[in-house]
Amino acid sequence: MKLGGIAGFVVRRLLLGLLVLGLVSIVVFAATQALPGDPARSILGRTATPASLKALRDQLGLGGSVLSQYFSWIGGLLHGDAGNSLAAQEPVTDLLGDKVVNSAFLVFCSGIISIPISVAIGSYAALRRDRTFDVSTSIATLVFAALPEFVVGVSLVVIFATTVFTGFLPAITIISPGARPWNDMTAMILPTATLVLAVTPYVVRIMRASMIEVLESDYVEMARLKGLPERTVIVRHALPNALGPTFQVIAINLAYLAGGVIVVEYVFNYAGIGGALRDAVSTQDLPVVQALAMLIAAVYVVLNLLADVATIIVTPRLRTRL
Amino acid sequence: MVDNPNPGAGLDLDRLSLSRRELLMGAGGVLLAGGLAACGGSGSSGSTGGGSAPAGTPKKGGNFRLGVTGGGAGDIVDGQSIVNKPDQARLIGSWETLLTYDEDYVLGTDGLAEEVDSSVPGQVDVRIRSGIEFHNGKTLTADDVIYSINRILDPKEGLFGAAGLGSVDPKNLKKMDANTVRVGLKQPDSTIPDQLGQYFNGIVPDGYERKNDLKWVGTGPYKIQSFSPGQQSVAVRNPNYWRPASEGPWFDQVTVTDFADAAAQVNALLGGQIDAITDLPFAQVDSAKSQGMEVLEGTGGGWLPICMAIDMDPFTDVRVRQAFRLMADRPALLEQALSGHGRVANDIFAPFDPCYSSDLPQREQDIDQAKSLLKAAGKEGMTVDLHTTNGAAGMVDSANVFAAQCKAAGVTVNVKNDPNYYGDQYLKLAFSVDFWGTRAFLPQVSLGSLPKPCPYNETHWPPKSGEGSDYVSLYQQALKETDPTKRCDIIHEMQKAEYDVGGYIIAFFNNLVDAHSPKVQGFKVSKATLNLDTFGHGFRTIWFA
Repeated sequence: MKLGGIAGFVVRRLLLGLLVLGLVSIVVFAATQALPGDPARSILGRTATPASLKALRDQLGLGGSVLSQYFSWIGGLLHGDAGNSLAAQEPVTDLLGDKVVNSAFLVFCSGIISIPISVAIGSYAALRRDRTFDVSTSIATLVFAALPEFVVGVSLVVIFATTVFTGFLPAITIISPGARPWNDMTAMILPTATLVLAVTPYVVRIMRASMIEVLESDYVEMARLKGLPERTVIVRHALPNALGPTFQVIAINLAYLAGGVIVVEYVFNYAGIGGALRDAVSTQDLPVVQALAMLIAAVYVVLNLLADVATIIVTPRLRTRL
Repeated sequence: MVDNPNPGAGLDLDRLSLSRRELLMGAGGVLLAGGLAACGGSGSSGSTGGGSAPAGTPKKGGNFRLGVTGGGAGDIVDGQSIVNKPDQARLIGSWETLLTYDEDYVLGTDGLAEEVDSSVPGQVDVRIRSGIEFHNGKTLTADDVIYSINRILDPKEGLFGAAGLGSVDPKNLKKMDANTVRVGLKQPDSTIPDQLGQYFNGIVPDGYERKNDLKWVGTGPYKIQSFSPGQQSVAVRNPNYWRPASEGPWFDQVTVTDFADAAAQVNALLGGQIDAITDLPFAQVDSAKSQGMEVLEGTGGGWLPICMAIDMDPFTDVRVRQAFRLMADRPALLEQALSGHGRVANDIFAPFDPCYSSDLPQREQDIDQAKSLLKAAGKEGMTVDLHTTNGAAGMVDSANVFAAQCKAAGVTVNVKNDPNYYGDQYLKLAFSVDFWGTRAFLPQVSLGSLPKPCPYNETHWPPKSGEGSDYVSLYQQALKETDPTKRCDIIHEMQKAEYDVGGYIIAFFNNLVDAHSPKVQGFKVSKATLNLDTFGHGFRTIWFA
């Protein structure tokens, strides 16, 4: 019954997610292809000739009505065909395949490091509330939360790669074609550290706040009064309940990473979707822009879904309500 | 400017120089013959000469890693075309031209041709060196030269070289023997040898296409081994390269990496992950030097004209044009637009052309004279819109700085920064800023200073009457003239008219500012159209210390 409840919930959320993606696709399409004016002309600029305009219009599928253009685009996407890149003249999926893997690996590295660290720091800070550890981590997280990633990234490069300890770590990440980012882990250190420093502060702060709330709750007090060891109180009763809200923040942060890697990839010349998106926007490569916008939206939807499910699983109150 | 699909990214296809050599137009002979001298003689080319060339004996080995900005998913490899700047680096290392330019931008027979004879009007005879092999082992013959020229001229290919070789008759390319081709012309054109030296007119094997199995086959010092657009390409030393071993190439491998951002590129250089970069940001020149990097500043010939259409109000009156030219403070414009990394210009173009009129007096700001000219024209205190866009670095800065300078003469210039500048209104504006690359004089004229079908005539030059009205017939005379002195006389006359009554305000020519690690030797400060001393002459004349 309980499992069925969760399964039903997952199905409902999946359908909702699909609806959201459908709406996003309309916005993405409207913002790129269906804008007033002629995208073909704006792409070609002063190199436009009647012949090249016609060729590009055909390639973009600008022939029919806006509605039929939209359905042919979304139909292609559903079949895994995102069209051909205008700049590279090859299928978008071929162009982005490796880059998606590279970016996903960067997000994975950042997540796998930042999540345990921030949960641990946040919980410990809550337990040591208002003492030295708590105060100092509060200040540190505030500072890092206030710094944009590119400032953190550039500072790390200056310290560890170019100026202070010249050549200690690679300043940028060169991923040779055909190679994978995990082939050279030293080149992953600085971009990963930058993202970890960007994400950790938020999770630490929410973890601390939620842990403090839980520690002050009646059931924790009850557990303590029953004479349970403090360790059991925290691990069995306090932590699971405090993790619920934290999952939400982690999900939002990971999803943010999927889009936010753009800045970090730029600083480290990392061959991922961020660089591809920047390149596609500057060359007005509409099919690539559309595909990446949809991909990033899908990541948001999926991560939020996972966070909701995880929250329900660790929170008895929510679980029983389904 | 033209044929630049991606100007904002700093692509320099248009910064191509089409200059020419006195010798070429040569004393009746018009014969370019390669002798020992053309081969540089003493080996180790690049190791001596030029004040900046570091001492040291070249030696083999190493992976030369170059970082280039301005590329992206649209990058290509093609022996006769480029889209982005990293493509230039790949082309230069793997393909070669019939004629070549040296560090002083003098055309010579140090390329695949040992002789180019254009002494008979209407034809050019090209004799290639024998025994040169392509990367796939095939020997270079006249058939490859004919195929290469035909491919350039094929309208379906849409190659840049087609415009410059427009007077070549594709039906009249004759193979005289295995090593000689007679190129028939539709009309006399003294600029053909220059075109044969343009880097994008590389010689490809018969049957070459960008996507077939000959796609990476050239005769150059390096063979392309892998290529991933927007990311990286790797080329390895060509073991069968035709020049003597003492003339390079030296590296085992050349890796070209695309960079999205100049800051990441500089960081990679400082951190030792790459050995050289193109286009060091001006703001970082001092910092790069202080951290031990070598900055290479070569002279380029690119320019950002402020264009006055001579048949549109208010510039129909020559006195107004002259007044505006006198309002420009050229050194200040150079300082603002290029942080001083260039040379002050004098309202005429093609500085590398041997016929460039360097003896015309340098025009300077003269507000009083400008005011009195405007008064005489009845245009005191006038207001005019100046159109510009972020097409090439400095275009918007130039417009704003010039507008400020005009205030001193009581003239209000409203700068219109228009993202759709290169739309329908382009070339129909009375007052605008544009950008051009390095070219020799006559090829530049054919693109920007003649009546239709000349494609990019912003100033609607030449005038119908008065000085300059004979410009078109002078241009045609110059194309036919084989005597270099007489040809220069004609060009001087054309430039004088532009200087006196033309519609361009040309404030400066650009420099090329690049950087490299001190362990790379052999770079020279050169007059060049391409960065890093033409990428270390195709990575052949540079080596690791």
